[in-house]
Amino acid sequence: MTTPRNDSQIKVITGNAAAAIGAKLARPDVVAAYPITPQTEVIEQLSLFHATGELDCELITVEGENSAMNSVMAASLAGGRVFTASSSWGLVFMYDAVLAVAGARAPVVMVNVNRETPGIIAVSCGQQDMISTRDSGWIFTIAENCQEVLDQVLMAYRLAEDYDIQLPVMVHYDGFYVSYLSEVVDIPSQESVDQFLSILKTQPERTKLVPGQKLGCGSHGILGGYLELRHKHVSAMERSKAKFDQIDQEFMDQFGRSYGGQVEEYCMEDAEVVLVGSGSMCGTIKSVIDEKREAGIKVGLLKLRMYRPFPSERIIESLKGRKAVGVVDRSLNFGFKGGPIYTEIKAFETQMGGAKLVSFIDGIANTDITKANVANMIDMTCDLAAGKDVPEVTWVSYPEANEGV
Amino acid sequence: MSEVRFHGRGGQGVVTTSKILANAFGRIGQFGASFPMFGFERRGAPVTAFGRFSDKPVREKTQIYNPDVIVVLDPSQKSSEAVFNGLLPGGMMLLNDSEPTTDISHDNLVKIGVIDANKIALEEIGLPIPNTVIAGAFAKLTGMIDIGPVTQALDDYFQGSKLSANMVCAKRGFDEVNIIDL
Amino acid sequence: MSEKKKGKLSPVIDYKKHEDPFSKGVAFCPGCGLELLIRFIPQVMGNDIVMTGTPSCSAPVLLGQNNQSWHSLSYFGTLMTGAAANATGLVRYYNRAGIDNTVVCFNGDGTAADIGFGNMSGAAERNEPFIYICYDNEGYMNTGIQKSGTTPYGASTTTTPVAKGSRGKNLRRMNLALKMAMSKIPYAATATLSDLGDLAKKLLKAKEMKKNGFCFLHVFAPCPTGWGYDPAMTVEVCRRAVKTNYFPLWEAENGKIRMTKTVNKPKPVEHYMEPIKKFKHLDDNDRAILQEDVDYELCMLGGLSILEKECVLPEAAD
Repeated sequence: MTTPRNDSQIKVITGNAAAAIGAKLARPDVVAAYPITPQTEVIEQLSLFHATGELDCELITVEGENSAMNSVMAASLAGGRVFTASSSWGLVFMYDAVLAVAGARAPVVMVNVNRETPGIIAVSCGQQDMISTRDSGWIFTIAENCQEVLDQVLMAYRLAEDYDIQLPVMVHYDGFYVSYLSEVVDIPSQESVDQFLSILKTQPERTKLVPGQKLGCGSHGILGGYLELRHKHVSAMERSKAKFDQIDQEFMDQFGRSYGGQVEEYCMEDAEVVLVGSGSMCGTIKSVIDEKREAGIKVGLLKLRMYRPFPSERIIESLKGRKAVGVVDRSLNFGFKGGPIYTEIKAFETQMGGAKLVSFIDGIANTDITKANVANMIDMTCDLAAGKDVPEVTWVSYPEANEGV
Repeated sequence: MSEVRFHGRGGQGVVTTSKILANAFGRIGQFGASFPMFGFERRGAPVTAFGRFSDKPVREKTQIYNPDVIVVLDPSQKSSEAVFNGLLPGGMMLLNDSEPTTDISHDNLVKIGVIDANKIALEEIGLPIPNTVIAGAFAKLTGMIDIGPVTQALDDYFQGSKLSANMVCAKRGFDEVNIIDL
Repeated sequence: MSEKKKGKLSPVIDYKKHEDPFSKGVAFCPGCGLELLIRFIPQVMGNDIVMTGTPSCSAPVLLGQNNQSWHSLSYFGTLMTGAAANATGLVRYYNRAGIDNTVVCFNGDGTAADIGFGNMSGAAERNEPFIYICYDNEGYMNTGIQKSGTTPYGASTTTTPVAKGSRGKNLRRMNLALKMAMSKIPYAATATLSDLGDLAKKLLKAKEMKKNGFCFLHVFAPCPTGWGYDPAMTVEVCRRAVKTNYFPLWEAENGKIRMTKTVNKPKPVEHYMEPIKKFKHLDDNDRAILQEDVDYELCMLGGLSILEKECVLPEAAD
């Protein structure tokens, strides 16, 4: 039925523009917008599309992020397709509503442009905002480059609004390194996107808040109903893993691009040593892997595209039997020595057939994950594979920390 | 792949220069990737941007420490050490300056292009924003790309009379840049 | 009223054109002002309104406890921080989808004057076409009687207690309705439960005016539990609030303020305070401060209501 189409348009655009174009192509009913660096360009683009008539939607220029999330939540529960975007402190300011959206199972789609949070106010890249909101009950996906931002926004609608899922989805991408990155993007046609999303119209209708109908939402579930709702939520998150893999396949059929679903593997067939990463760092890691491969080092990359639910089965399958694995975190896990993603993968260590694990922390507050840093991480993971003594946690750009840990 | 580092200040169009060039490479079937680094967004603050131009997809998402080309939009930074940091042998520099020649020298620098981009911009668009003049001059200095795709790329960033005026800027940048071999 | 009309029913009955969507014996305290109001609104405006509400005294009844809500309205229970933004999202989608709607954003003073003020102000600035009703019981009653922005001077609450070195709230109350009337919205009004005909007219006017944008109703709704008065006195407390000008009744259409009830020879505010325990500790000096506040607000209203007639603009420069 679906074959790759040749009606797309090649343009050089930023990651933020890719997010806005992705949202526009999904034909949202209601968009709420509030600016914050480095997300602002997303809502500027959407406002411009709205002003020129390219985007036919209700645009709510709210007075704060909290209202952005609250208004799209209500519009979603009323039956609309919605979109919003934020970053860092903005995401934190809407956090009560972020939780409420998840609890209400409202299929909200948003992008979050990763920026340092919380604590010191830093206008810089970092995934701490994602970590600080990870237990909200949302589906989290992470994009590496501008093309993937656009593609993940489209996939997010398929996932969020799937009748078997009905959960909000947040697409994360790195501030500065992706948000402001101008690069070549293949922009699909409106017709092909309509076709890709059309399956959502053939589903049973979800519950909606309609005037005059005897239906309440946001009920106080104090006794048994609460546990039932929570368990259904958790089950839907579990189902979303396989669904994301399936959507990736259908995306391939429609647009000719595939990313591997929950995780993407790069040079993994014979890899003895693996770096696990997410987001923009993966592009840099791939280029360093090519150089290391030329030097005969069997190194590969496992890129997390889905972070919540945690793709543990795919991770175990991919890492099982490798000699050593270095997990790169662009954030901290306060109260733990290792990075957050490292700590979570560590929980499955006994199922990994003896693969040894180490944690690398880098890229926080715009400290650049340079090619030299990546090479260093690969070398240390190779040392671990060779049985040498390697510290469990390394702050790659801050060697002073490593003496104390 | 060529790596280019842009130095300027907020309001000079540093980011737009890097975007226009990435866009131009995209238009000839090649790959360009550029991004800026800055703190709070405001006029006058130092801005650095990075551009990678290649015939293969650009995957690196990291700042540029060993540029092949440095582009200086803000003449007050022309002697700054930070500008020359990590410049590779055979390196080139494009400088926006009202002085047609320059005494700048660096071990790895083989070619300098100097152009009074502010003056041209003032004449053509009435504002001292040098970005499109610099984009044109970049094509001439480096020879990495023709002026055609550079002027076509402007279409994505300007409209109407501003577009035509900036196209003149880019062409004048290409034609009038003073290239000095060292 | 019934005595005056010689046994005839109050004309307010004529406004109650719709069924009461609430079940009998709901979980409000005896004498609750909120209960009178919440039953009255759909009876006047219709049962096809969509109500939004927040954690508050209204929540146990509106949102339901143990999976049971006590009414048959279409309802969205949400958070205090974003109530007006929720109503915004609903009304924007309904209007886009061509669904007829009357969205009533129903909140206490804690949401309207305090934690949710910012997003209410934002919705007013954007002139979102829904009706915001604040039922004002002058504090956080559901959590156990704490001070809010509309708690009056001198009132004893659990966060402004009467103790050695403290004589209740030492700040004056916020005039929420006046703030909203200044927001250039199509309609803002005050109302209370002693004047139900006035309240009904204002509800219907808001339902009509919301086609032009944001409508705000500030309804004085006393709380016998939190304020310490006889539950049978709720309507009487409202009546005294009006008669003393403690809570004047007015409306503002497109910013033009008009008194809907003028009180000739108002009684001193002491008359209003007398049955209410939260004022019991106050002395003459405190009562004078409260009286001064009441007079000040009345003057401000009076001044604003003649503003348009009297105001002379300075001559423009050439």
